[in-house]
Amino acid sequence: MEVGTLIWLVLFLPVLGFLVQAFFGGRVVRSQGVAGKKLMGTLAVLPIAISFVLGCIITAQLAQQPADARFSIHTLFSWIDILSLSIPFEVRVDPLSMTMVLIITGIGSLIHVYATGYMAEEKDYSRFFTYLNLFIAFMLILVLGNNLLLLFIGWEGVGLCSYLLIGFWYKDLANSRAANKAFIVNRIGDWGLTLGMFIIVALIASNIGKLGLDNVRFLSYDVILSAPVIEIFKANPGWTTAAALLLFVGAMGKSAQFPLYLWLPDAMAGPTPVSALIHAATMVTAGVVLLNRMNILFQLSPVASAVVCGVGAFTALFAALIAFGQTDIKKVLAYSTVSQLGFMFIACGAGAYWAGMFHVTTHAFFKALLFLGSGAVIHAMAHDQDMRNYGNLRKYLKITSATMIIGWLAIAGVSVWTFFGFAGFYSKEAILGAAFANEFASIGGINIGFYSACVGMFVALLTSFYMSRMTFMTFFGQEERWRLIPAGAHHDAQGHDDHSHDHGHTHAHHEAHDHGPDTHGFFYTDEELAAQHVGHDHDDHHHALDAEHEPHEVPPSMWVPLVVLAALSVAGGFLLYTNHMFEHWLYPGGQLAILGEIKAYPEWKTLLVALSTGAALGGIVLGWFFYGKKLPEREGWDLRRWSPFRRAAGQQFGYDKAMVDMSVEGGNQLATFSWKFLDSKGIDAIVNGVAGLAGQIGKLFGWAQTGFVRGYALLMLLGGVGLIGYLALVLFQSNGGPK
Amino acid sequence: MQDVPLFWYLALGLFMFTTGAVGVVVRRNPVVVFMCIELMLNAVNLTFLAFARYSPTLLPGMAESPQTWMTGQMMVIFVMAVAAAEVAVGLGIIMAIFRLRNQVDVDDMSALRG
Amino acid sequence: MIAALPTITPNQITFLALAGLAAMMAVGVVALNNPVRSAMCLVVNFFVLAFIYFTLNAQLLGITQILVYTGAIMVLFLFVIMLLNLSGKQIFPEKLDAKPVIGIAVGLGLFGLIASQVLLPMQKITKINAEYAYGSPQAIGKTLFTNYVWPFEVTSMLLLVGIVGSILLAKRKI
Repeated sequence: MEVGTLIWLVLFLPVLGFLVQAFFGGRVVRSQGVAGKKLMGTLAVLPIAISFVLGCIITAQLAQQPADARFSIHTLFSWIDILSLSIPFEVRVDPLSMTMVLIITGIGSLIHVYATGYMAEEKDYSRFFTYLNLFIAFMLILVLGNNLLLLFIGWEGVGLCSYLLIGFWYKDLANSRAANKAFIVNRIGDWGLTLGMFIIVALIASNIGKLGLDNVRFLSYDVILSAPVIEIFKANPGWTTAAALLLFVGAMGKSAQFPLYLWLPDAMAGPTPVSALIHAATMVTAGVVLLNRMNILFQLSPVASAVVCGVGAFTALFAALIAFGQTDIKKVLAYSTVSQLGFMFIACGAGAYWAGMFHVTTHAFFKALLFLGSGAVIHAMAHDQDMRNYGNLRKYLKITSATMIIGWLAIAGVSVWTFFGFAGFYSKEAILGAAFANEFASIGGINIGFYSACVGMFVALLTSFYMSRMTFMTFFGQEERWRLIPAGAHHDAQGHDDHSHDHGHTHAHHEAHDHGPDTHGFFYTDEELAAQHVGHDHDDHHHALDAEHEPHEVPPSMWVPLVVLAALSVAGGFLLYTNHMFEHWLYPGGQLAILGEIKAYPEWKTLLVALSTGAALGGIVLGWFFYGKKLPEREGWDLRRWSPFRRAAGQQFGYDKAMVDMSVEGGNQLATFSWKFLDSKGIDAIVNGVAGLAGQIGKLFGWAQTGFVRGYALLMLLGGVGLIGYLALVLFQSNGGPK
Repeated sequence: MQDVPLFWYLALGLFMFTTGAVGVVVRRNPVVVFMCIELMLNAVNLTFLAFARYSPTLLPGMAESPQTWMTGQMMVIFVMAVAAAEVAVGLGIIMAIFRLRNQVDVDDMSALRG
Repeated sequence: MIAALPTITPNQITFLALAGLAAMMAVGVVALNNPVRSAMCLVVNFFVLAFIYFTLNAQLLGITQILVYTGAIMVLFLFVIMLLNLSGKQIFPEKLDAKPVIGIAVGLGLFGLIASQVLLPMQKITKINAEYAYGSPQAIGKTLFTNYVWPFEVTSMLLLVGIVGSILLAKRKI
């Protein structure tokens, strides 16, 4: 089939899946029970899987084209068409969009499969898949759309789905708050994105005379990135930098960069497949995709690129430090995601856009793997997410622990010199190498890119270290700590994880979906389950975690995706990196439009590889040293024995609390001020004054209103007579007076 | 009736109209006031019809056409329809006022006094 | 001037008789104190007016006048008068204040003005320009449903609103 047909199938199959789930899912699941769930689960996975297959076909066709002919635009209908602006509903098939399509549908279908197992006990089974399919559809619009407005639709759509899925267990107030927080913080980013779009449109529209464009599709990429428009950007460097920075603000919101990262850790309140798909593999990388798509704008603005680099480096460091203070396994992964996103932005800032996308890809492999693995662990541990209650799980969860260990090695960037490495090694090398080698991202002669790379190298060590901490605490050691939880520790754990709970709006506490006493009715009761003949492997999840708990390996629907992702995490980086395959796929010949060739490595490549390998292995050694045998005393259930640094890290160094306080309390004070002074003393005074004035004027003339109806009638009559008399007089005079 | 001049009809209409107008001013009973208004409306209707029949082409450029003598009749029809609606609502209002105050003197209805 | 007319035809006698009756009844509406009598005067006035319409060849409108005014509207008036029992204690003796005097004076002024300005110039007009059958149901129906179809529809809306409004006003509790 034609690419033009296939691409619409890729886009609309998830939409179809969404509609099927939305309109039939609830009824089928209610009436058919377990069989209905199996049916709807299959119907949820199928569209995504078919989309993936079709995406592969399109990509294969695309790869056969010569490098400079690898894009095509397909228009479905004219969406907005006014005199001076035309925005069709069009998609763009090119290496960047197809790469993202493959990640979204590929990882997406694996996670869908996983979710059929993970959510099996859920009452609102099809609601979950409704949202998930809708998310895939919007994400595809985001990456496939050929103009910024379609990107914006997808951008908002995935934000909506993220909101719906974070608040999936919405009856718990903390989850709803986390969802609201994600939604509100993202609006700040959207503000930047829309302003950036406006600037681009304004720039093009105000120079339309010089362009000689034969169309007015101002927001389409092929227009924005065409040679005459680039000349306009070059002529207005100030506006270009402003537009680039504002687009980056949008990317900061969606991709959780400092200072807007705060929503992502809270987003872990959603079900784990959601964390894996939306908050690790796809949606949060939308910012990187945007920067890649609009890379010419950033190539033209070293200042904006330096800011991107700096923000990315700081975020990477900050999030990595916070991760040391977390005991919730999903929170550790969340901060690790924030940190890794920081790496991607270092790459984009340094001009190595392909490296950012490369890291998006490899990160999608291993972070999805780690999240799904953590979901399996949580599933096996009666939905307890506290790593202090784990230990020695490799004895019980053989497949899960094996795959997660691969994920850990991949994110740490372990390699055998340069012969072979796990996926994370290659993308991290590419990012750090490019950032060290290039002097593009600099403000006033200070090479921000270089310093960012220094920070990034340190963060690589930290990453390896805290991921080792997580792995050793969960799978290794001889202690099976859920049997050792001291009395009262549960309270401490709560106190720790809800460190801001006196404000009550920052953290979804980690037992948001504790199955024990489920008062919210999201899960089946034991009786309902028994009535539905659910297999025995599910029964144990309804027990609270206690000393007699025996973890069981998860069902195949959950471990098969883990194995696939583990394979990708092992080999994916190596395969894509060899012979510059990924780089030349995205940027043919490794050439950028403005900057030309981006150097991949500094002169001291050997030293860099040595440092980076050292960082990866050093982190693992440190992790083994501290956490290999047992949980250190100073990180136990008793918070009072924690070191001050770790306690501060656990509370995000007070940043989250400060921000929330500032916005909530500050907003409250601002609103109070505006109410008491601006509103009641300013605006109300004007309004009441005008009304009072009108009243006074009315009173002046009020005496004429006698209230006697006949008086009014008489006056009316008098008026009529007077009018006719006047007309008669005028007529008389115009006829020349008395004849 | 070729031999009755337009003037006579107009005179009758004018007399009825003036009588009605005076009645509106002098009578206290709202129902009678209403009747006077009806009288005025009918006076106007009569005038319309008389003008329609005779269609005096007084104004320059006003051509003789069916339009000329149908328009007056159309106006009469619409006036009748409006009068019917007006009576229905007006009498309803009078009934409502009577229920509220148990008497209907126009001079006592002075809630609008300034 | 009327006296100056040379002869008086039967048609003129008919018109004068009808017009005189209508004028008398009009005065009666205003002058009689009892609302029931006013109403009866108005009935006669409207009825006579219908015949004057006939003398103008406007047959359809004459019949409509009888049906709508004499038949429907006046019955409504009488019903209201009966329901309010206005004929008994509710006969208001007119107060002796300046208002009737001023009213009559202004009325006379109105009459004089219009008579002098509108009627006098039209004294000579006797030519009838309308077609003979200009008031027939066919002619009116054709015009009403072609050129005046939108006003006609709007009128139907108005009547509908009138129905709803009067129900709303008449009901004690909605």
